[in-house]
Amino acid sequence: MSLKVGQVAPDFETGAFVDGGFKEIKLSDYRDKWVVLCFYPGDFTFV
Amino acid sequence: MASVAARYKELQDLGVEVLSCSVDSKFTHKIWQEVELSKMVDGGVPFPMLSDTGGKIGSLYGVYDVEGGVNVRGRFIIDPDGKIQAMEVLSPPVGRNFSELVRQVQAFQHVRKTGEPTPAGWQPGKKTLKPGPELAGKVWETWKIGD
Repeated sequence: MSLKVGQVAPDFETGAFVDGGFKEIKLSDYRDKWVVLCFYPGDFTFV
Repeated sequence: MASVAARYKELQDLGVEVLSCSVDSKFTHKIWQEVELSKMVDGGVPFPMLSDTGGKIGSLYGVYDVEGGVNVRGRFIIDPDGKIQAMEVLSPPVGRNFSELVRQVQAFQHVRKTGEPTPAGWQPGKKTLKPGPELAGKVWETWKIGD
């Protein structure tokens, strides 16, 4: 699918590592905040 | 991710939350943090590192490379209404420019606050333009490249 600027970012929920522990993160929980979502090919690569 | 983590405070100061995402498991993220990232950045990566096994999220955002089985370098700026304001996608060998990310966030925040569009290369404190019939054909009088 192709995304366009101005459209609502597709929501998702997934497991994450944060603050030394594991947590479920849901994008829509970040409503009312600015978010930068960064994809990268894989751990142990430079980004 | 280390380069973003190292300057994370600049984004925090702008009220921005960062989420990073790769096809690695959360367990791999933990090990990467412990054995490498924490040595590159004081305290390691401070934001959530999302696990996207199978590339489901990457597929939603059009950045999942099925052949390689990885997400390419896609970066999305999402506003408080949940709308995508900017996206940048790079193929794997080239890294991102953090300063440009910060500049874009500042520009989008300025537009959201003031409604004033920002011209090419705008930085905080620089001139903005007020579109309208009187500006048509007269941008050259009020704004020069590099202003």
